[in-house]
Amino acid sequence: MKKIALFAVLLVGILFLHSCAPTLGPVYQKVDTIPENLGLVVIYRPSSFIGAAVSYDVKVGETPIFRLYNEGYYPYFSKPGEVEFWAKTESRSAVTLDIRAGQTYYIKGTVGIGFLVGRPHLMVVPEDVAEKEISKCKLCPEKTEQ
Amino acid sequence: MHMTKNKVRPKNLLLYFLTTLFLTGCATKTVITPQVAETARLSNFQIKGIIEYDGNRDYLPRTISDESISDTMLNFQYSYDVAYGRDKTPQAIPLFNPLTLIGCPVGENTLVVKGKLVLLKGKEVLKEYSATCGLEKTRSLFSEGETFSELRKRGLIAVRDNIEAQMCQDSDFLSNLKNQE
Repeated sequence: MKKIALFAVLLVGILFLHSCAPTLGPVYQKVDTIPENLGLVVIYRPSSFIGAAVSYDVKVGETPIFRLYNEGYYPYFSKPGEVEFWAKTESRSAVTLDIRAGQTYYIKGTVGIGFLVGRPHLMVVPEDVAEKEISKCKLCPEKTEQ
Repeated sequence: MHMTKNKVRPKNLLLYFLTTLFLTGCATKTVITPQVAETARLSNFQIKGIIEYDGNRDYLPRTISDESISDTMLNFQYSYDVAYGRDKTPQAIPLFNPLTLIGCPVGENTLVVKGKLVLLKGKEVLKEYSATCGLEKTRSLFSEGETFSELRKRGLIAVRDNIEAQMCQDSDFLSNLKNQE
């Protein structure tokens, strides 16, 4: 009887967490054209069982640009220069890119172990690695002011 | 004379081991090449010319300064490259590793920064200075430590300082360039 109750609690928990995740957009497609005088930064998170229910805002400066979900990605067009991308749950992770116009950069997001909640980790990855891992990722919705 | 026997208790040994493990996780390992004497940086040596660099000026060696029209016809080309290492620790391991709870690393941040300064007179390369800095930081449940942004900044400044020191060691050669027409 106890086992059935535990199973029911787990099932409800999974359904609850699943309902929190938004509907993601279409599967990844490479951006063909980068607007003039801008660079492209593709931020993605490959599918992983660990921390799958955890999502976090990715910010530039103090501006949240989107929320990164498991198996999600987002293409961000940035002005050239040094730009810091960061995310935070119970700890902060940040990477800085020296963006040049017309260039594409890839940032991979993951979730690692934490005390109370999974911790975000952002890292810069080369194009060949990113293009393999991003293929099944879906577009995350843009962050809108609430 | 009273002699005391120093017995190493297993409890103390364990405490020592755990403290060492915890502190090891906090430190960032930095390796820079080439090795240059620290004293070389003390010199206030500076050489003027046209600088070709469009990045953050904080990372530019301070031994070179800009002048719109170079009297010495010297040009400086500075560039750097930052390469990021992959996290070798599989994500699932820390979840099932009981040592995670006592500070065993759960991941690592590694990066390598390379800087290069080329001194030119017209199209002729007079001298090249380069430096490489490798940084490695392990993360634990208790300490996330420096972010990639902070490590990158630290690496770029270390490379800048190293190139400055190399130039200060070469100050005689560079002064001659300065005096040549």
